[in-house]
Amino acid sequence: MQMMSVVLPDLGAGFVLSLEIFVVTLLGALPLGIVIALARMSKFKPLSLVARVYISFMRGTPLMLQLMALMFGPYYLLGVNMGSGWKFGACAIGFILNYAAYFAEIYRSGIQSIPVGHYEAAEVLGYSRAQTFFYIVLPQVIKRILPAMGNEVITLVKDTSLAFVLGIAEMFTEAKALAASFVSMIPYVIAAAIYWIFTLVVEFILNKTEKKLDYYHD
Amino acid sequence: MAKEILSLRNVEKSFGDTMVLKDISLEVTQGEVVSIIGSSGGGKSTLLRCATLLETFERGYLAYEDIVVAQPGPDGRAVYADKATLKKARSKFGLVFQNFNLFPHRTVLQNVMDAPVRVQKIDKEEARAMALELLAKFGLAGKEDMVPNELSGGQLQRVAIARALCTKPDILFFDEPTSALDPELTQDVLRIIRDLAEEHMTMVIVTHEMTFARDVSDRVIFMDKGVIVEEGTPEQVIDHPRHERTRAFLRKIYD
Ligand SMILES: Nc1ncnc2c1ncn2[C@@H]1O[C@H](COP(=O)(O)OP(=O)(O)O)[C@@H](O)[C@H]1O
Ligand SMILES: [Mg+2]
Repeated sequence: MQMMSVVLPDLGAGFVLSLEIFVVTLLGALPLGIVIALARMSKFKPLSLVARVYISFMRGTPLMLQLMALMFGPYYLLGVNMGSGWKFGACAIGFILNYAAYFAEIYRSGIQSIPVGHYEAAEVLGYSRAQTFFYIVLPQVIKRILPAMGNEVITLVKDTSLAFVLGIAEMFTEAKALAASFVSMIPYVIAAAIYWIFTLVVEFILNKTEKKLDYYHD
Repeated sequence: MAKEILSLRNVEKSFGDTMVLKDISLEVTQGEVVSIIGSSGGGKSTLLRCATLLETFERGYLAYEDIVVAQPGPDGRAVYADKATLKKARSKFGLVFQNFNLFPHRTVLQNVMDAPVRVQKIDKEEARAMALELLAKFGLAGKEDMVPNELSGGQLQRVAIARALCTKPDILFFDEPTSALDPELTQDVLRIIRDLAEEHMTMVIVTHEMTFARDVSDRVIFMDKGVIVEEGTPEQVIDHPRHERTRAFLRKIYD
């Protein structure tokens, strides 16, 4: 019982940090992914190529390595000491840049699945390109990509534990420390349960959203 | 003399090495109904797409009344006007597609009233009233809040016509408006176009419905392999074609 009075508050504090990483990543990567997807589909070849290489690199190297590179890059490459708060910056930037690459490919598949006729109808009706994208294309894309996005978002719940390598006291870091100090599996078991509940909540929200968008079919 | 709404002169259009429109001229005056007939691949859709700015042509002249969209430059190639002029030109015409191209995620009413509100900045209530009136006129009262996938093909095309009309165009183009419909649904759509013709809506209609074309048109154009082969009243072109190519086409249609 004594153990619980330490474990639960510590894991709780860790969970808050995990949740923060999760939210910040989504807030940054969801819009950034659209920008990268549009760059990837650009008719301007150099831009499209840069986006392509970016996506390939971000998906082709471990997120853990990317986080470490961001954490220590400023010092090793530039000799700049970023201070102790930098790990949070490195963490946020690393997650956002990495997830935006995955989201970009999902957006792209969604955008390319919209029939050309919708663009043409909008063009003839006088919609600007931005209006066409935001009012005609994007709402349809969201419905189409929701299942694929859902998978990535659930992966993100679990990936937040990678912030462990930066020494950020998110839930997995806390669980590991608690397990060591109490010589017990219990902290891991509780942390696992919390991750699981977290993903169940995310799934619930995704299902609700899918139902809400079920008012039409193509 | 009636006002000239559409002027298209000496237009040439190629896709790669194939010339799809060869020296095509088409002038349409206010209130006129022009049907374009001809076998598939003749360039009818391309002509409408050039007129509605979905495609650009290499040579020729295009204007809606006094809005010059494209004209020959010094080297003879067509030069298009600036964005603002093209935008102004777009407010002059509407286009009805063979496969409707309604926006599946918006209701029938939203499909019809959105462009007037968003593009033309018309007052929302005014646009709604206009849209409801058009929908009622086309036998779609009560369907306003449905989404496209709840409607039949004939209903979808009527919504698409309402959508095109709600922006108050001076001229309406139709590209085979009934070709994607089951035969029993085509008449509903054709009846609406007939009604519009009686109200002297200016229209250019690509169609394979010869009876309809004969009844509704002031002028019929027969296009084949990128050229206008024959042009005249329905009696001249459909009933008494002078060219062998026109006759061959009509024989095929009536078989
Ligand atoms: N986007 C395109 N790219 C290349 N060729 C095209 C394209 N659109 C049409 N064509 C060709 O142009 C010719 C005329 O086509 P179209 O205007 O669709 O004829 P119609 O509407 O009379 O059937 C056809 O040979 C067609 O294959
Ligand atoms: Mg065609």
